[in-house]
Parts: sequence; structure tokens; C-alpha cells
Amino acid sequence: MAVNKLALKAGGPAGAGVFTIGAMMARSLQKMGLHVFYTADYPSLIKGGHNACYIRVEPDEIHSQLQIIDILVAVDKKTIDKHYKELTENGAIIYDSVEVPGNIKLDDRKDILIFPIPLSDMGREFGDKIYRNTVAVGAVTALIGHDLNKVNYTLEKHFSGKKKKPEVINANKKAVQAGYDYFKNNFKNIDFKVKIKELKKDKTILLTGNDAACIGAIKAGVKFVAEYPMTPSSSVLHFMAGNEQKYKIVVKHTESELAAVNMLCGGAMTGARSMTATSGGGFALMSEGLGMAGLSETPFVIIESQRTGPSTGMPTYTEQSDLRFVVHASQGEFPRLLVAPGDVDECFYETFKIFNLTDRVQTPGIVLIDKHLSASAKTTLPFDTSRLKIDRGKLMSMQDMNNAKNKVLRYQITKDGISPRPVPGQPNGLYVSTSYEHWEDSFTTEESHMRIAQVDKREKKMLNIKEEEIAPKFYGPKNADLTIVSWGSNKGMILEAMKFLKNENINVNFMHILWIQPFPINKVKEILSKAKKTLMIEQNKNGQLRGLIRELTGFYIENTLFKYDGRPIDPEEICDKVKEVIAK
Amino acid sequence: MTKIEDLNNDHTNQWCPGCGNFPILLALKQAIAQLNLNPKDVVMVSGIGCSGKTPHYINTYGIESIHGRPVAAATGVHLTNPNLTVIAVGGDGDGYGIGLNHFIQAVRRNINITYVVFNNMIYALTKGQTSPTSLKGTKTKSTPHGAVEYPVNPLALALAADGTFVSRGFSGKLDHLTNLIKMGIQHNGFSLIDVFQPCISWNHTQTYDFYMNKTYDLQSEGYQPNNKDEAFKKAREWGPRIPIGIFYKEERKSYVDELPWAKPPVALDNIDNIDIEPLLEKYY
Repeated sequence: MAVNKLALKAGGPAGAGVFTIGAMMARSLQKMGLHVFYTADYPSLIKGGHNACYIRVEPDEIHSQLQIIDILVAVDKKTIDKHYKELTENGAIIYDSVEVPGNIKLDDRKDILIFPIPLSDMGREFGDKIYRNTVAVGAVTALIGHDLNKVNYTLEKHFSGKKKKPEVINANKKAVQAGYDYFKNNFKNIDFKVKIKELKKDKTILLTGNDAACIGAIKAGVKFVAEYPMTPSSSVLHFMAGNEQKYKIVVKHTESELAAVNMLCGGAMTGARSMTATSGGGFALMSEGLGMAGLSETPFVIIESQRTGPSTGMPTYTEQSDLRFVVHASQGEFPRLLVAPGDVDECFYETFKIFNLTDRVQTPGIVLIDKHLSASAKTTLPFDTSRLKIDRGKLMSMQDMNNAKNKVLRYQITKDGISPRPVPGQPNGLYVSTSYEHWEDSFTTEESHMRIAQVDKREKKMLNIKEEEIAPKFYGPKNADLTIVSWGSNKGMILEAMKFLKNENINVNFMHILWIQPFPINKVKEILSKAKKTLMIEQNKNGQLRGLIRELTGFYIENTLFKYDGRPIDPEEICDKVKEVIAK
Repeated sequence: MTKIEDLNNDHTNQWCPGCGNFPILLALKQAIAQLNLNPKDVVMVSGIGCSGKTPHYINTYGIESIHGRPVAAATGVHLTNPNLTVIAVGGDGDGYGIGLNHFIQAVRRNINITYVVFNNMIYALTKGQTSPTSLKGTKTKSTPHGAVEYPVNPLALALAADGTFVSRGFSGKLDHLTNLIKMGIQHNGFSLIDVFQPCISWNHTQTYDFYMNKTYDLQSEGYQPNNKDEAFKKAREWGPRIPIGIFYKEERKSYVDELPWAKPPVALDNIDNIDIEPLLEKYY
């Protein structure tokens, strides 16, 4: 019997509310002191289709999903057909016997325990079929010996935002109890292979990449958010709008991404830390404005959460195919910052950091994530803010400008390339934030020497970021038979794969490339030069970072695992590939 | 006191001699001086086109943004620091063509900025193509057989989007225009000032004489700008007589009036020690 190691999937048609099952189980198991990973798979529609959510818990930190599950909760037949093969030996199916009448026979998997429960009918007793989801939570709770009090506590928290909350909470509590009792009364002497026992551990937080990035931005003092909704970034807009009053943030749902990025050009000019979030399609509309920010040296932050492209592609599925696009977007040459967090912690800390760095080098910055990181939740320790300091670079204060003896030149050619940045309302600093090439005072020019001086100055700004500030992360032993190189949300799956590989005495290490612009050339070279064999893992067809590494370091990473079906790479796939490469 | 001279700078003007933009620039300076606005508290926001150069010729803060986007950029300035006086300027191609969406949205939002459109019914900086306000049949380099479309009617669009200050001036009537700009700046909400601006290089039909002969001031004929139906009628008047002045005006809360937390400029907030613990609560 396994204690506190469980993976569960709940599936049904879109709109049936099966995500509630995942959310309730995830939060209540977190309350038991366990570590949780939660993710969802859904098509781009509001009703119908097939939705599934997945949760996995373990006593220690976990970073991703696995291909296997122990329990499948199904409110329709399709869920059973699609997912029963993922069940581990002696796994369990709890299903809605109203929606799926008759006996379920799985001839190829006689080991599976099958629990028919009239979930829909039981749900209706509490007012609506939708309560079947909480009935199912009760049944799962009984199956795994989970604590009902923790479930009820989670219910209260989960539904506390709802309008008729006392009624809703009470009905859900009764539904959970009914599911629990039904299971206990109808399925006696079940000794399921997984049991849950409360652990006394440090408090964790369970949140998605998008939420973590939002909290990082708020900690960094974001004051202006202009955004147009686009999956999978829309929750950033919702999060910010929900907190606009408490944190005094102007949050504007704009008419388009064109409006969003150009509003940022205005908002950032006044000194307000400004950001937007979007996906590839919206970023395409922003590319001209990005160049405006590059030339006018206006710092703001764009969160770009990638989904399956090109064009509308598969809008609710994940991919890492926008890297080359964001690296090169917009006409002309200008410096930009680009970081690709790999987990919720990095979403928080790197988003905070990029606000400081964009202010320091006065240029736009991009946080590049993907749907899998945006929308999946993971437990981690509460963020440590003790060492986070705001750095506004050469943003001028009113006092600086009152004391200025001469007119301050906004685009002054300086030693470090960075010019003083006054804001409207301050004396002695009048200038035009301009999309044209310009003199030091901002007036338009086409003069050869000034053009060269301004281009060189802008490029030089990046030298104010030291390589140790943007270093890649390194996991595993110094010497290994294989070095994995990857970026973004793959980090989680690779770290999980490394646990399995270690148990099999397969010796690998892993370089997680976090900052892509500026690129930590020396550190990456150093690690690659020590590698015996190398394996590049990316979620795209052409190996976009692999190519960039070759361009910037000369290293050709020989082996590849590229996936582009919209689904995150699973740790099992990584293990198979690693073994194949090592055996070669 | 702010004087006209305070608003001058030594940048070489690059407009054609005799361009209809010069009186608009002077009207802008006169309005700012007469309202005694401190240049450091004014932000002039332009797009691309001949009008786009305006912020460089007036000694205030400014943004020379990309084509079609001055209203969006101006909105960003205003929302983060409503203490500033924000004046967006642009041409008819910039504002009623590529940037039309932002114009309509800013009108319905009642963003408290003043938008002065240098409307010459032609693309001038790209050397003479049809514009969204060119009349049907206008022959240009891009419409050698005559423009097929009906023109955009900016005043009617602003009225339809529940604009609260809808007006038109003519760059040949300087004091009238100065007054319109002053009233626009003082108006709490989005002020549209569409300005007939003769392009002496590329538009040989809508000239100074054309407008001198046809335009008349609504207010001097006793027109009251408080009836939207009447305003629509006047907005569509185009023939031997063409009205200028204030077509419609209404007092309504501006966008930031609805966001009390954003009235003290968020741009000036201290961000050194923001407490995120309340945000983490729900994730424990």
C-alpha cells in the first residue's frame, strides 16, 4: 500500500464542472501537508467537448504530471474510454451510473476497481446536477481515507466568493457527505492501494504560473496594466482587475493588443511601472509598439504565454514555438530583455526582477511562459521577499530635477549608455518620447554620426547586466553521462524524470536556461564544454533555443526531444529518450 | 504666467511654408499660454504624419508615437497621471483610418484628454494619397479614377459614441480655434476638435479659400450645443455652408472619475515596500 502518493484524473464534457473535483481534491490534500501538482486539459469551447483535470500528490515536492493515474472520476462514458488505460494496477474508476447506464466491462484491465455511483441523481437532490462533482469528491474521500473536515474547509474557501454563498456552501457540504456515505454504505471492505495520512510540514502555497507572475509584478510595484484577453494569459487580467483597488493599480481591458502596448508607452513614460499579458497572436499585434519602446527607451513588461500556433492553432494547448518570434519581433535592432521562467517560483522572482532590469536599462522586457506553466498549479514555499529591493535605475526624482542646473537631456550619450529619465511634471526635463531616431534632446535627426551614436548607446545598455544576474540553473551531479538542456515549463518534467533516472542509477544533469536576452554565453559554454553527451528538449518542431545556442556559442546539441502536439512532454517520455541516447 | 515664448524652441520646422498646420500650432500655444498651464505639466502626444512633428515644435513634454496610436499612448499618460494636461494631435489618416478604433473607444470612455485632428482630407507626408475623409470621387495617386468610398464623418462618429465634447475648427480662423482648444482642455472628458487644415501641397480642392467662403460659426448664429439630434444634423451639413464651432457638449463623469483609487496619480505612488502577504492567503 502506498501512503500519500496519488494521481487522479476527473473528466467530463466541458461545462460539467469537473474542474471543481480537481480543485477541491488539490486544495484539501494540500491541507493534509502534501505537495500537489494540478493541471487541466480542455478544448477551446464553453460547453461540450472533453475536459479533464489531473492532480498528483506526494509527501515531498513534485514538479509535474505523470502519464499514470490511480483514480479516474468520470461523469461520462468518453472519459472512461479515453483514460482507463492510464490507470495503474488495481486503480479505481468512480463513475456516474446515471450518465453511463449498464455495467462497465474492461476486459483488458480486469484489475481495475469499478465504483458506479448515481452522481447525477444524487447531485439533483441538492438542487442541480452540477452538485454531482462534489458528490464525487465525497466518494473519492472515502476511497482514499482522506479527511472530510479538510474537504469541508476547502469547500468553504472555494465557494466563499459566490453570491449565495451560505446556501451554496451548505448544499456542497451535504453533497460531499452524501458521496462519502454512499461509498461507505455500498462498497464495504474496500482496501484501496493508496491511503492519505496527514503530514506535519511547513505551510505551502498552491498556485499557477500566471498567478505567481502577477504577484511578482505587484511586488515590483506594477501600477498600470493594459491588456486584451487571450488564452492562456487572460487570468493575468482577471487577477489584476480583482486587485486594482487594494493595490491602487489602473487596469484597463483595452480594445486590442495594439491599444495595450501603446498605452504602455504612455503609462511607462509617466514613471508608472507598466505591463501587459498576451499570447502569440496578441504579441504579433504588439510588435510595432515593442519597437517604439525600444527606440524611445521606454521600460515596460510583456508576459507572453505561448500556445499552439501558428495563427489560431490549438488555442488552449501548450507549445514553445514563439521563442524566435519574441527574440526578433519588430523592425530594426534594439535591445530587449527576455526571461523564460520554468516554474511558479521563477514566475514570481523573475517577473519581479525583470521590472528592475527594464528600469535599469530602459528597454522593454518579455516574460515568456507557456500554457502548461500559466495554468498548472504547484505547491511551493511562500515567497521570500526579504531580499527583494526595488531599483528604478536612472529614473529621476522631483528632487533630482529641481536641483538640475542645466536642461537634462533624455537621450544623452553616456559612458554606460544609460541616460537620465525625467518624467512629465518635473522641471528641466522637457523631451519627446519618440519613435524617430533623435538627438540627445529627443529632436528628430537623420545625421550619420548621431544615428551611430544612438544605436551604439542603446546596445551598450545591456552591458549593465552582469552574467551572474542571468545565469542558467544547473541540476544534478557535475559529471554525468548526459547533459539535458532545456527551458520553460519543461523544467518540471525534467526534474521529475531525473528522480526516476536516479533510482535506476542513470547519471544525468540538466541545464535550465532562464534568461535568453541577454544570453549567459560564458556560463552556457562552460557547461556544454564539460558535457559528454547532450540532449535538447523543447516543445516545438524546429528546436528554436537549440538553434540560438548554436548561433551564440557555437555548440551543436546533437540529440533532441521535440514535441509539438500541444501536450506537455511527460517525464516518462524524457526517461525513454535519455536511455535511448545514453545507449547509443 | 506662461508666455507664448516659453512654448517656443529652436527646432527647425519641417512643414511646407504656408502649411495649414502653422495656425494650429499657434492656437495650441495660445491656448496653453492663456490657460496658464506650466509646460512641464503638459504632454503633447502625436502619431505619424505631418501633424506627428507637432510635439517637437512646442516646448512641453511629448510623445511622438507610431502611426495611428497617439490616442492610445495619450490614454496611458492620462490614466497613470491625471494631473497632467494631455493633448493628442494627429491627422485624418492617423486618427480616422489606421487609428479609428482607438478614437471611438476613447470617445465612449470619456477619457479626459483633448484630441486635435489636423484634417486635410489627404495623405500628405506620403505625398498625396486618398484619406478616410477624402470626398467620394477624389482623384489622388492611390485613387487615380476617383475615390470609391464615402468619407468618414468624425463628428457624427463621436456623437454616435456618446462623445461629450464634439467640435470643429478651421485653421484659417485662429482665435476661434484657440478658443475651441481652450474649452476642450477645460472640458472634463474627451474633447474632439476636428480642424479643417488646408494642405497646400497635395489638396487643391479644400483650400483656404474653399473654407473661408463656406465655413460659419454655429455659436455666432445662436446654435445651442445641447441637443444630440440637432448636432447630428449639423454634423452632416456639407455644401455651400459648412458649420464650425461646438456641435455638442455634455457634462458627464470622465473615465478616472469612476476610478477613485486612480485619481491621485498612480505614477507617483511609493512602491518600495508593497505587502503581498494578503495576496498569498488564498493559496495556503
